[in-house]
Amino acid sequence: MTIHLSIVLFLPLAAGLVGAVLPRGMARWAVLAGTVAVLAYAIAMIADFDSAAGGLQYETNDQWIEELGIRYQLGVDGLNLFMVLLTAIAWVPCTLWAAVREQDRPKLFFFYMGLAETAVLGAFMAQDLALFIVFFDLMLVPFYFLIGGWGTGDRVRATTKFVIYTLSGSLLMLAAAIALGVLATPDGGQLSFSLEVLEQRSVPEGTQHWIVLLFALAFFVKAPLFPLHGWVPETYRSTPIPVLALLSGVLSKVGVYGFLRIVLPVMPEGSQHWQELFIVIAVFSILYGSVLAFSQDNVRLVVAYSSIAQLGFIVLGIFALDDEGAQGAVLQMLNHGLVVVPLFLIIGLVAARSGGGESLKELGGMAFRAPVLAALFLITTFATLAMPGSANFIGEVLVLFGSFEDKLVYGIVASVGVVLAAVYMIRLFQRVMHNRVGPAVRSRDIGGLDLAATAPLVAVIVALGLYPQFVVERTEKTTFQQIAAAKALADGGEARAAAPARQGE
Amino acid sequence: MIDVAGIAASEVKAPVIDYKELSPLLALAGGMVVVLMVGLLRPRFVRRALVPALSAGALLIAIGLTIWIWEPGDRQPIIEGALSVDALALGISVLFYVAGLVTIVLSLRANAPSEAGHGEYHALLLGSIAGMVVLAQAENLVTLFIGIELLSIPLYVLCATELRQRVSLESGLKYLVVGSVGSATLLYGLAMIYGATGSMQFGGIGSAIGGDELSATDPLLLTGIALAATGLAFKASVAPFHQWTPDVYQGAPTPITTFMAVATKAAAFAVFLRLFGQALGLAQLEWAPALAVLATVTIVMGNVGAIAQRSLKRMLAWSGVAQAGYLLAGVIVASELGARATAFYLAVYLLMNVTAFAVVVARERVSERGDDLASFEGLGTSQPWLAWPMTIAMLSLAGFPATAGFIGKFYLIDAAVAGDYTWLGIVIVIGSVVSLGYYLRVVAVMWMGRFEIEMPGPARRLVKPAAGWSPEADALAQPEVAAIAILFAAATIVFGIYPDPLFDLARDVGSSLSSLR
Amino acid sequence: MSATSYGWLVLAFPLAGLLVTSLGWRVLPGRTAGWIASGAILGSFLASLGALVQVQDLPREERHAVDSIWTYAATGDFDVEVGIFVDPLAVFMCLVVSGVSFLIHVYSISYVSGDHGFARFFAYLNYFVFSMLLLVLAGNFILLIVGWAFVGAASYLLISFWYRRDTATHAGIKAFVMNVIGDVGLVIAAFLILNETGQLDYLGVFERAPEVFAQNDGTIVATCLLLLVGAFAKSAQLPLHTWLPDAMEGPTPVSALIHAATMVTAGVYLIARTFPLFELAPTAADIGAIIGTATLVFAATVALVQTDLKRVIAYSTMSQIGYMVLGVSVAAYSAGLFHLMTHAFFKALLFMGAGSVIGAMAGIQDMDRMGGFRKAMPFTFVTFTIGALALAAFPFTSGFFSKDEVLAYTINRGGGYVVLALAGYFGAALTGFYAFRMVFRVFGGEPVPEAKELEGGHAAHGEPMNPMTGEPEDTDVGFPGPEHNVAESSPPMKFAMAPLAFLALVAGVVGIPGVTDTLEHFLEPTFESSRYIDDHPSAGAEWVGLAAGGIISVASIYVAYVFFVRRRGITLELRDRFPKVHAFLFHKWYFDELYDAVFVRPTATAGAFGRRVVETDFVQGFIVGGTTGIVRAGTSFARAIQTGFLRAYALLLLLGVAGLVLYFLLASS
Repeated sequence: MTIHLSIVLFLPLAAGLVGAVLPRGMARWAVLAGTVAVLAYAIAMIADFDSAAGGLQYETNDQWIEELGIRYQLGVDGLNLFMVLLTAIAWVPCTLWAAVREQDRPKLFFFYMGLAETAVLGAFMAQDLALFIVFFDLMLVPFYFLIGGWGTGDRVRATTKFVIYTLSGSLLMLAAAIALGVLATPDGGQLSFSLEVLEQRSVPEGTQHWIVLLFALAFFVKAPLFPLHGWVPETYRSTPIPVLALLSGVLSKVGVYGFLRIVLPVMPEGSQHWQELFIVIAVFSILYGSVLAFSQDNVRLVVAYSSIAQLGFIVLGIFALDDEGAQGAVLQMLNHGLVVVPLFLIIGLVAARSGGGESLKELGGMAFRAPVLAALFLITTFATLAMPGSANFIGEVLVLFGSFEDKLVYGIVASVGVVLAAVYMIRLFQRVMHNRVGPAVRSRDIGGLDLAATAPLVAVIVALGLYPQFVVERTEKTTFQQIAAAKALADGGEARAAAPARQGE
Repeated sequence: MIDVAGIAASEVKAPVIDYKELSPLLALAGGMVVVLMVGLLRPRFVRRALVPALSAGALLIAIGLTIWIWEPGDRQPIIEGALSVDALALGISVLFYVAGLVTIVLSLRANAPSEAGHGEYHALLLGSIAGMVVLAQAENLVTLFIGIELLSIPLYVLCATELRQRVSLESGLKYLVVGSVGSATLLYGLAMIYGATGSMQFGGIGSAIGGDELSATDPLLLTGIALAATGLAFKASVAPFHQWTPDVYQGAPTPITTFMAVATKAAAFAVFLRLFGQALGLAQLEWAPALAVLATVTIVMGNVGAIAQRSLKRMLAWSGVAQAGYLLAGVIVASELGARATAFYLAVYLLMNVTAFAVVVARERVSERGDDLASFEGLGTSQPWLAWPMTIAMLSLAGFPATAGFIGKFYLIDAAVAGDYTWLGIVIVIGSVVSLGYYLRVVAVMWMGRFEIEMPGPARRLVKPAAGWSPEADALAQPEVAAIAILFAAATIVFGIYPDPLFDLARDVGSSLSSLR
Repeated sequence: MSATSYGWLVLAFPLAGLLVTSLGWRVLPGRTAGWIASGAILGSFLASLGALVQVQDLPREERHAVDSIWTYAATGDFDVEVGIFVDPLAVFMCLVVSGVSFLIHVYSISYVSGDHGFARFFAYLNYFVFSMLLLVLAGNFILLIVGWAFVGAASYLLISFWYRRDTATHAGIKAFVMNVIGDVGLVIAAFLILNETGQLDYLGVFERAPEVFAQNDGTIVATCLLLLVGAFAKSAQLPLHTWLPDAMEGPTPVSALIHAATMVTAGVYLIARTFPLFELAPTAADIGAIIGTATLVFAATVALVQTDLKRVIAYSTMSQIGYMVLGVSVAAYSAGLFHLMTHAFFKALLFMGAGSVIGAMAGIQDMDRMGGFRKAMPFTFVTFTIGALALAAFPFTSGFFSKDEVLAYTINRGGGYVVLALAGYFGAALTGFYAFRMVFRVFGGEPVPEAKELEGGHAAHGEPMNPMTGEPEDTDVGFPGPEHNVAESSPPMKFAMAPLAFLALVAGVVGIPGVTDTLEHFLEPTFESSRYIDDHPSAGAEWVGLAAGGIISVASIYVAYVFFVRRRGITLELRDRFPKVHAFLFHKWYFDELYDAVFVRPTATAGAFGRRVVETDFVQGFIVGGTTGIVRAGTSFARAIQTGFLRAYALLLLLGVAGLVLYFLLASS
């Protein structure tokens, strides 16, 4: 069977446009159908995917803007296969969640939802640096409007802050990327941003240093990692729940994904140069995020800071520059997305049962009248704190093993984060579901449609917990390829020599 | 005793004039005369419909002729090297024509023409355009100066055409004074350059700098360059010579503001490219750093200046300053790539600003808050057909992808990096980050129905309403303005996704500056 | 069927029970969930017997079987299967765990019958048993860690089963976090093992270990110490013990099952399972032995003065596990495991008895308010006393043989170990004393009102309240409210306690020195590679030890008799004479206070600091505020010079021109 990535890519946007012309009530169902179709397509792709082959599959490679050497180049390999799946999986429940609730200006809302999915998919599938950046920035547009138009509280301020923060990162990355493309072009050579070309060309190490730094800036803001998480508290407070689930579950991965897709293979010297610094940032984020999550009172913020810690683990795994570490990071990127989405949806349900209260003080004692909700929450909680038996555990263990390998001290420090995770997640679960009933809490069990939105996700979590190898065996090969060059350097070898030739060159 | 016969006998050698090459200019001149005459006729129909139609006709003819004589590559100057009708001149002048057309359409319901007299108004407009064309084609210092004056003087008047508005008159006067200072400086600078190089011709200047007897670091030459740069900086509203911009833009009738914003800037950069790229190209090492500093100052000033504005026209004026800074990057690198990038960005800049100004025109005519931010509140729900174009314009100006603005910035940064001015590229992106602060506020006001009052008092409304201030009436009030907005917004998106046509034009434009790297 | 297929069955039954009870909670009528759950455990007990038979059939030197169903995760050197490892040790553990669990399940059916969370309770119980069996059957370290963490999670869920009690939920978190600390220890240990041996499967690791590790080499010692961290966290040994007493917040059957018979002994199992590593790292083993001893003495002293019935038993559990850890650390593997088994019997029994008493007291657990129950509850009295005798190692009870075998082996190692053994005997003396302190104070003396009421034939009806805080219970989530169950009145409880009482008495027969030694021989195949396999004390020496132990036990019981029956009140005099000592013991040597000051508070403070200072001042203030501040400054500057007056513009203009010209002139020269 032939997979056309362009179809996957633009289906949601198309659905959104269709929804915009349909009568008012229909838009939501159009977009929902679109997301479901994408999911179906993604599953078909996984089924068809050849995990033995390295390199790109289902590649689409056309000229887009010749003058600027920008190609419309999409491709899927082990690295982004599950990122695409994650996007597809995450969008369905969130759209469903929004569809079964009354939205004002529904056409716009669901149009933006569709646009957002297209942009995220594009960022994950792009194999051309400029194209990646185009989608990377395009993502902001729908989220800007979704947060600003449908958010709560001081939403305009929050969304503006969010966009400015992210764009200041990604525009600097844009400058760096252009510099990379131009400086890498040999005399008389044609300017090109295609990653496979850039991997063959090289820029002087000194240049790589600052270019990598600017890329890292953009990705750390997106992730977010300490100290670039200034946008997090306000944004997380005012973002509508389904959007927040996507923001935290999926968007946060685009940044760290960028490291593996672009930075490590294209600029191994630069990456290896900053390895120590990035690891320190990652480890610090783990501890800082954990400690703050432990001391937050707002439910959303507990998860927000826990994400900072989780993303710290992922970055740690990537910059351990070690096979297990990178593999763990890739696995964690999927796992974290899979747990955070249901987590936020559940938080939405919880808030709905406490008269909108999201402060741990106002919550409590919900489990008795909502056993199913409590069970879902419990499983998600355990997965989030990476309890052995969950795929998150395997991911975290691989990350830790990778960092122990040659950065033992950092690894040990990071494992403190594992303990803290247990503290803040269990605390969250308990303060919501257990103890005396909160003042405003009117507990009732989860409704059918919400169950349909959350239960499948939880089922996926459990399934992955039983068989994480499903992901590992498909991602392994590409992951190793991506870090090979930088790893070789870290082990004191020669980068270019180690870089394995990708397919189609 | 004088030998009259001898004088009579000796024939005066008149220059050869290639009328084909000159035809667009002639069309404009002709149109100008006709419009002026017809404008004298009394009937309302003539004044309100025929005059604009004729002027538009003239511009359309000019466009047609331009396409007819279009030819890429380096061209021999005509009329004894006074003008060079090459792709650079022609390409840029298309922008003038389009801007002119837009201005005419936007002026249809404006008060300015009726107060100043339709004939005069449109004739002046055409005259100014003619001046810009001359400027763009100027091949020697004299024609350059003629062009500058020919474009400026009508503008001084046009700014003041809202005779009953104090601000309008004030803006005209300000523009006149500051503009004259600018012209004087420029003239002085040109004189010095001539003194240093002994040539009026750009080509001659270039070869003189290249030659042995004149070093590129000759004080006289450099002082000349400095003064000339200052003069052009005025027209392009480059900091620190930008200060007239906000006041004039705000005071002038909005259609005229639109025209100035896009056309004048284009003209100024056309001559920047020609003078600095072609004539002074070999002295680039000398002047580039200075202009780079100017560009940086401009980007910073423009963006920080725009943040505090709540009058849309002022805000766009400031943003225009910032954009001038971006454009300068394309000049500084003095490369063919730079020229292309500049030309490309000028086109994009026209699209974005026309869209924005059209929406401003539409709003200020119906809202008692005039062009104040407040009059855009909730536009997303009340008049989406205006809100969408405005949103697109703002996002494009801010440089979001899938808009022409993104490609334009990309191109400029590309040129800057290729010309070893990477740091300028970074300045550009930092400027864009700051610019989000005010562009996004407009979007937020339109869509997110909330508007924080943090800036000094609302602007007095300048124009009397075109319709009865009721949404229904507003909706139908001025279809042509909405049409312009939608059309150009659509173009912004289209060229953001499929920019190749613009790239081809830009390539032709660049190709005509052969002397460049 | 092969041994491994039985092994899978052992796991399958409780898993099935878990699924049925948890998914069917809405439809299962009455007590069905309880019976289903119990049936499931009975099933896995039978399967364990099957496995026993199969293993015994295997020839002596290859009495171990491995089997795996799918690859769990494999990348790089990291290669883990979902596989089990069946050998005598595993089978022994399965038998003990499933057997005792079955009885406790039955006991629970009536104990929690009045509870709204009936089905939930049994789902948790099944989940726990499944996890525990997974732990003992796991074929590699990763799967071991999985089971390890699962039992921790189950323990958390069961401790905070009555989740409207703040005390219960706090205790739950405490237990869970302590266990996670243990997990992390194991994870790091697993890494070191993988890194050195390139293996994670038991067999592979044990094969490679002697080749890659020099005797007592740093890495292997570190590895074993990390394993000990895991073991001690689970088995409530110093210094990771503080969660166990609080865990008594859970329903009494839970205390019996998890915090006496099974989970807490996992640490002992772990040390025994990884004995090849420990024998390569004697230092680590010695540290284990020392800590075990320290714990057994410490816990015994604390148990002397506690007045909460369940907490006394909890401390006695810690103390007994101390003996086991000592045993397995001095390579007396079979002895340690022998004590593990007997302890499971009598300690479960004691908890059940306590539960029965607490039922009679309508939820009150304070011994000061108990007394004279012997007439009211003859059955409980008898069984509890049997348990106490076994705990006190009264001659010829099960505890008598197992405990003293441990000590005999310890002495046999000679040298410094003798000191540890003596400490063990001292602990034994204390044990006898506090065991019978319970018996005499609960059952002896004048009947308290509740006891009288029960003699009248009906259980006391107290307003349900939290025994810790005294605050009234929120009964709608199912705190066993007015209606309580006592053994006398409910057959299932009797049914569960009778066999345990019997075993507590006679289970010693499997290890009578020089006579049977059945257990030792059964376990030998597992430990035959041990270098200490052959040097066990002579039967004679053991009997000497037994004699000593017997005398100590009898004496200590007598002392208790004197203190609590003959001359009551002497304890009060003692307390008044040595208030400091009493307070020190009563506050459990102030461990909780210490940890609160060292770990909990600092973390909270750090959090507050981060929230108030770092977030607001640095992230928001410096980074965000700083940049926006710069922009604002620029803006106000731009507006300041934008006066609208031409003269001002002219000035700036002149400056600009001047600057530009100046630059060019400088450039020119």
